[in-house]
Amino acid sequence: MRYYIILVILLFFGTLHCQNFSVGGSIKDGTNGETVIGATILLKEINKATSTNQYGFFSIAAPKGKYTVIISYIGYKTIIQELELDKNTTLNISLSLAETNLNEVEITTKRGNENVKNTQMSSVQLDMAEIKKIPAFMGEVDILKTIQLLPGVKNAGDGNTGFYVRGGGPDQNLILLDEAPIYNASHLLGFFSVFNGDAIKNVNLIKGGMPAQYGGRLSSVLDISMKDGNNQHFQVEGGIGVIASRLTIQGPIVKDKGSFIISGRRTYVDVLAKPWIERSDFKGTSYFFYDLNAKFNYIINEKNRIFLSGYYGRDKFIFTDEEGGFKTKIPWGNASGCLRWNHVFNSKLFSNTSAVFTNYDFSFGATQDDFEVIIKSGITDYNLKYDLNFFPNSRHTIKTGVNYIFHVFVPTSVSAKQGSTEFDLGKTIKLYSHDAAIYVSDDWEVTQKFKLNAGLRFGNFTQVGPFNRYVKDFTGKITDTVSYRTNEIVANYNGLEPRFSARYSLTKTASLKASYARNFQYIHLASISSVSLPTDVWMPCTEVIKPQQSNQYAIGFFKNFKDNIFETSVEVYYKTMSNQIDYKEGAQPADNVFDNPDNAFTFGKGWAYGAEFFVKKNVGKFTGWIGYTLSWTWRQFKEINYGEKFLAKYDRRHDASVVLTYDASKQWNFGMIWVYGSGNRGTLPNGFFLYEGSLSNDYGLRNSYQFIPYHRMDLNVTFSPDRTKKLEKRKQILIAKYKEEGKDTLNVVVTKKWAKNFSNSFTLSVFNVYNRYNPYFIYLTREGDFTKGTLKVGAKQVSLFPILPSLTWNFKF
Amino acid sequence: MKHFIFIAFVLLLFSCRKEVKLKLPDYKQKVVVEASIETNGYAVVFLSYSVPYFGDFDYTAPEKTFIKGAFVTVTDGTTTDTLKELDPNTGYAYLGFKLKGQQGRNYTLKVTVDGKTFETNTNILNPAKLDSLYFKGEEDTLGFIWQTFSEPPGSGDCYRWYAKRLGRDQFYAAPFASVFEDKFIDGKTFDFSYDRGPQPNEIQEYREDPERGYYKRGDTVVVKFCKIGRREYDFWNTYYQNKASNSNPFSAPSNIKSMFEGNQDVFGAFVGYAPFYDTIIIPKN
Repeated sequence: MRYYIILVILLFFGTLHCQNFSVGGSIKDGTNGETVIGATILLKEINKATSTNQYGFFSIAAPKGKYTVIISYIGYKTIIQELELDKNTTLNISLSLAETNLNEVEITTKRGNENVKNTQMSSVQLDMAEIKKIPAFMGEVDILKTIQLLPGVKNAGDGNTGFYVRGGGPDQNLILLDEAPIYNASHLLGFFSVFNGDAIKNVNLIKGGMPAQYGGRLSSVLDISMKDGNNQHFQVEGGIGVIASRLTIQGPIVKDKGSFIISGRRTYVDVLAKPWIERSDFKGTSYFFYDLNAKFNYIINEKNRIFLSGYYGRDKFIFTDEEGGFKTKIPWGNASGCLRWNHVFNSKLFSNTSAVFTNYDFSFGATQDDFEVIIKSGITDYNLKYDLNFFPNSRHTIKTGVNYIFHVFVPTSVSAKQGSTEFDLGKTIKLYSHDAAIYVSDDWEVTQKFKLNAGLRFGNFTQVGPFNRYVKDFTGKITDTVSYRTNEIVANYNGLEPRFSARYSLTKTASLKASYARNFQYIHLASISSVSLPTDVWMPCTEVIKPQQSNQYAIGFFKNFKDNIFETSVEVYYKTMSNQIDYKEGAQPADNVFDNPDNAFTFGKGWAYGAEFFVKKNVGKFTGWIGYTLSWTWRQFKEINYGEKFLAKYDRRHDASVVLTYDASKQWNFGMIWVYGSGNRGTLPNGFFLYEGSLSNDYGLRNSYQFIPYHRMDLNVTFSPDRTKKLEKRKQILIAKYKEEGKDTLNVVVTKKWAKNFSNSFTLSVFNVYNRYNPYFIYLTREGDFTKGTLKVGAKQVSLFPILPSLTWNFKF
Repeated sequence: MKHFIFIAFVLLLFSCRKEVKLKLPDYKQKVVVEASIETNGYAVVFLSYSVPYFGDFDYTAPEKTFIKGAFVTVTDGTTTDTLKELDPNTGYAYLGFKLKGQQGRNYTLKVTVDGKTFETNTNILNPAKLDSLYFKGEEDTLGFIWQTFSEPPGSGDCYRWYAKRLGRDQFYAAPFASVFEDKFIDGKTFDFSYDRGPQPNEIQEYREDPERGYYKRGDTVVVKFCKIGRREYDFWNTYYQNKASNSNPFSAPSNIKSMFEGNQDVFGAFVGYAPFYDTIIIPKN
């Protein structure tokens, strides 16, 4: 403990020794006023660089003097500006798009070498423009699918957007949409993510060495920023695809000051496929989902800016059997809202204050004649956050902040009635908890070559009443009920989370990095099935469920080639996780009537290790990356698999991905991905036996069966018609006509303004080009009568998607 | 949960399935013990080996799974009954002849096969009475037997339900999911019914039976309603869950809670039943 206090003191007071001036401000895209995340700001004379934070804000300090400031961001013209630094200075810059002449792009958009220079390792930042070029399933641009193409991030096969980072479970990823945690990031059993690509600006993934400002999850942070909205002019953007259509409207509320963006998406399989479904065995089945994103922001003055953003999305599945009098409705989805205030105290001190609301709920309603049953589960968070970024001098960047969340969990609650008779199934069980954290970190340039990021986070989690604990004996009889009053403490946990990462520069373009992070996670997702489903239940720590804890160690070598055109890295990691949660063998999600859901759980540990190789080309006609991961992921639970360790379901010995995009011309773009992964592991029956005259399965050891490897190639081609030639031709015709009519030809109106700005493109995507049958699941079949000697056994593999072409039309004006 | 399978089915419209050859991990055959004792009855034990999928087992010779020459005893602590093979040529069934089950007593089963001895125990509890039986028609002359049951107060009670049509069935048959506990219904009076279960030796015939699941007007039906212990309930409950999950990807692989706890060579249960019998003559119309 004493060691930590010393560290904190050092972090703060170690920064006061030298006096510098700072230059700080924000970087924007001049065409639409969007703040730019990750732009590089370089002071050429002292070769000191920084990059903008998630709010587009930067600050850099240097001794008094004359400097050349170089501001660059990929795809934009580099700005070079002279600066006389003799006081703390504010510098707000608007970038303009680079000329689209592709040959020039390489020259005008020099990529920074931040990946080599900063202390953060195990992280990838992706720009939405980059993501949109990659082939997408059914033409729906998908952030979650894209990050699964990065080394260290795995999917669990088709039909699953839950992702697994360095051996962690899908609940161990902190997915933030404009600071609001999203608890279920997928639609339709994981085929699409809830993030509508048109409303998203930037995606940042951190899979190790998590900075201290993030907490509450063990394995990764996926920080997604929504667009702010164009504050220069109105803009409409949309697309019509096979599965869904999208529409986004954005524009200024007050030019240069405030803007809005509203973006929506809805699927229409339910409408399109209805005639076929009605004639099939699936009569009465209907499914759709929709998403709405909205954001408003207003720049009050140079120092203050407010944002209000929200997300609402729903999936709805309906099944009606009119003859049988049976009807079921299953809606589920997320809602989130965030009010933020960015305040710039001065060029050295920046703050962000947020109030966040987030909710995920799932409900299942079924009626059979006059009998009705409703099952609900969900989680709601009320979240307050205050973060300070302090840039005291050229060597330190200090971040500190506090966070408080009030969670309300509804693990599973059942209500039922028949006619007017309500069944007594107990009250809706809700679990309440307070989740608070405080952190401080310093990004400290110790010497020119050595940079250290040291951070410390302290979290406290308290489950409070009202709550009933049902104490049972080994026969399952309730022997006692312990009742807690409102706000009475049921369980209380806290923990210190030290975080370190360091960079040592070997050369200008190469560095070694190392990190250590300890993380605590106070909420758990219990998944009963072998795929993640919306029915999976979020549970807080209780006196039975202890917080998950992880320790991760990673080292890496980073090297850029050819003026940062190629980024390469090799990282090795080792991670341990304790208090992992799983259902006991044979347990089923229960109704929780006179029972606590945590009674069905068993606890164990996990560990994972591996190496990740990554090569990325950022600029040029050809861009893309190749990633390869070699990894092992283990689990061990006392009550599962006879206490023996077993490989996790998503243990993946080899995982490779190749992503290539080729901009052939202004009109034609091509994209390709190829993925390969060792097969998932699963538990299949190895044998069967006769009992009371019938056959039952005897399952093998946990995850002892390995499926065949998963591999697939997707392609896309985008054609964007060139309208300038067409417009020029029309202009010439009009000029000729005007001349003929003797009119002035200077003010020829070729087309309306919006039509002049109109652009569109057609994207043809082909999923699973070589029609690989990747396994979704395997089941065993038995035909005939065993006792009569006529039994035949077989195995069938179900694969979800064969080759699937799709066409999407996108437009913008 | 199961309703998610509907969604999956919609997705499976796109999907394709094909026959595959599996290479499963090596399978070690287990001894399967199906044993019971009930009030006023001798112990009955069936012994067989489990069978590997895709192994070199000859499926046309099911009798190879039957265990012959095992040494089986049941004891109540004072008397030990050494069970006899019903037919030493086939093995499989072993019957007691000395020790009859009694309420409130504990019984220990020992089975020695291939030099290994496996042991477990069970209790015969006090039976619980059904209030009454009645028939409710569903289709034409077919319907279900309903019973009114006043569940005794005090939670933790578990039950198994059997029935037999007099003159038509050889054995008492238990339908799918024929066990329940009193978690929701402790101390309450309520009505319940079950499907008619298959005869253990006529599983295939049952599938094609036009009266499958139903009782028919004119049948005389004896209901055997048994109280069982918690371990015994857990066995049967997980047994039925295992049957229900059958490779369904949306449920966890369900291992049955064997009553030979912690032993991987053997698997099964020894269940003490405390039956209560009641008879209903279903009127012809």
